[in-house]
Amino acid sequence: MILVILRVMALGVWRDRAGLFLIFALPPVVFIVFASVFGSGVNGRIDVRAGVVDQTSSVDSRRLTSAVKQSLDGRLTAWPSVAALDDAVASGRLDAGLVIRGDLATTPTPITLVIHPGRRAAGELLGADVDAATAKAMPDLLLRREVLRLKPVLALKAAQIRRVGHAPAIASPAPFVARRELPGADPMVIYYAGAVSILFVMFTAMQGAMSLIEERRAGLRLRLGLSAGGVAPLLLGRMLWLTALGVAQAAGLFVVAAILYHIPLVESLAPWTATAIAAAAASGGIALALAAACPTREQAQTLSTFVVLILAAVGGSMAPRFLMPAPLQALGWLTPHAWVIEAYQTLLWRRILDVGVLQAWAALAAFAAAGFLVALTLESRRRL
Amino acid sequence: MAAKPPAIVLRILDAHRRYADAAALDGVNLDVAAGEIYALIGRNGAGKSTLAKAAIGALALQSGTVRVLGGDPARDRAIAGLIGVAPQEIALYGHLTVAENLHTFAALAGVRRSRSEAVAAAMAATDCTPRAGTRIDQLSGGWRRRANLAAAIVHRPRLLVLDEPTEGLDSQTRMALRRLILDLKAAGTAILLISHDADDVRALADRVGVLDAGRLVVEGAPADLMAQAFDGRQDLVVRLSAPASAAETILLKRGLGATDDGLVWSGLVAGAPAKATALDQALRDHGVAAAEISVRQPGLDALIAWACSDGAAKSIAAASGAAA
Repeated sequence: MILVILRVMALGVWRDRAGLFLIFALPPVVFIVFASVFGSGVNGRIDVRAGVVDQTSSVDSRRLTSAVKQSLDGRLTAWPSVAALDDAVASGRLDAGLVIRGDLATTPTPITLVIHPGRRAAGELLGADVDAATAKAMPDLLLRREVLRLKPVLALKAAQIRRVGHAPAIASPAPFVARRELPGADPMVIYYAGAVSILFVMFTAMQGAMSLIEERRAGLRLRLGLSAGGVAPLLLGRMLWLTALGVAQAAGLFVVAAILYHIPLVESLAPWTATAIAAAAASGGIALALAAACPTREQAQTLSTFVVLILAAVGGSMAPRFLMPAPLQALGWLTPHAWVIEAYQTLLWRRILDVGVLQAWAALAAFAAAGFLVALTLESRRRL
Repeated sequence: MAAKPPAIVLRILDAHRRYADAAALDGVNLDVAAGEIYALIGRNGAGKSTLAKAAIGALALQSGTVRVLGGDPARDRAIAGLIGVAPQEIALYGHLTVAENLHTFAALAGVRRSRSEAVAAAMAATDCTPRAGTRIDQLSGGWRRRANLAAAIVHRPRLLVLDEPTEGLDSQTRMALRRLILDLKAAGTAILLISHDADDVRALADRVGVLDAGRLVVEGAPADLMAQAFDGRQDLVVRLSAPASAAETILLKRGLGATDDGLVWSGLVAGAPAKATALDQALRDHGVAAAEISVRQPGLDALIAWACSDGAAKSIAAASGAAA
């Protein structure tokens, strides 16, 4: 009997090809958007659009402009005046700006960064880009500036200064700091894989659970009410289907994450599967309880949208939980989302299966059981 | 030796159910025997659907009992499995084919062995076999009604509850479904039929019960009730091409009443055919040509109106007194 209902639900999704496409295509798309915005992205960069006003038009300033432009992958445009640049930054057409005001070798502070208070991070990134591009492409300029700064102390003569300024070996010293990058996926990408998956799994579960209301409306509930097993198998079949669908949906998203962002899915497949099952069951339980509580589809639609959005916002599916104030973070533990995100992060980022993951599974199982029992109680008492 | 009376399949005793401000069922008593078709009629809101839901155990009574073959369908799953229901809505999964729907409901009803045979038999009985592989949402209204009925009988129920089974069907399909329902009756199925269709009730019902405000006010064989209610009177209907004041006087004098637009007049009269001819002549004499004059059997609306009137109560009381 459970399998009969499971089959009915599965055929409903399978034969709705447009719905099937959305169930499996939409979550990875939204995940990629979130991962691109909040993670360090595929190339480890945040793309800043910048403008430059070169008031000196010297050989050095042109070299610097070219180096910064190359560093920003071409997203540096020349502007005719400081006023025009200010206006572009203020209106958001540019993220930040540069004004080259004096000779780069001799002026104490030859460059001004134009920053909007709403985009301080972009200004900081542009400043770092200028420093890095100068160090990489114009070490001679930096050396000339140092020599000029030290000239009074060392009593250098003009000939010595010229020699130093044109000595590549001196101008390009060995780097002071070497970098060693550890292997591993971006934690924010893992965070949003979990966050987006639970958001969509719950949304899909809500839509799937609406079949309870449709059956009531279409008179099917009268016929189903005469079935030999009563209400429990009818609900259990739905619960199993919503769980299976949720796991498949999460799997689709995490496979994309594994391919694009190298999330270690295969290495943690068993605990990942347990987490996905628990997350989908929790979503199914909550969705069934809501559908059982609502007399009409319209009411259920409104309520489920409200619940999905509130749980997602508080649970950390929209903005990272560590950015939330402490009381909101604490409140998040009342949502399945926080447990799901925490479990995936522990498994796929920290690569451990600790007591926190076990607690998450227990919490999600409790959500599933509570939701199912509420739905069972309401549906058993329902008289049509 | 007298023949053994057919077993009572559905028995409802003193059923009461109130909603917020009104009684939906107010002391209803009703029996339906094996091989009997009992038609339940009444105005909208009279309690027909409430009674039908109570009969299948889908609605809890505040007092009174419902028994199907001696068991409570609300509590006993085995008893519930002996009931088939075809609601007024098409209670089928639109994304499944006819055969898939029937397999689903047969499985849910607990048909394990020979499920394929049961499905095939239900499809054959309702002539659905040619559409076995078609999805419900791709079928016409008539085929959906047939499939709806097939799903109700796939597990061979002992009690069948049919809510407006022929609604919206063409006459050919309607006749076919009536034949099917009569076949089920002949096979011993007890059938509770809810219908607004006078022809269905006349053609199918062994007994008719009229519900009014949750009370079963009149019950009897259709022909007996018609005779009791109308005493040979028939519905005389006159349709005018245009309003005419001369016609109104004549029609009112003969006991006919007008509809809202004043073009259609009707009334129950004795000796209707002769009076129709006389009326036609009288209208012509006054220069009025009727577009149509017809004589019809009184419809269910007229029967319900009579059953819910004081006259019916007196008539029933008198009949009861005479019997006593």
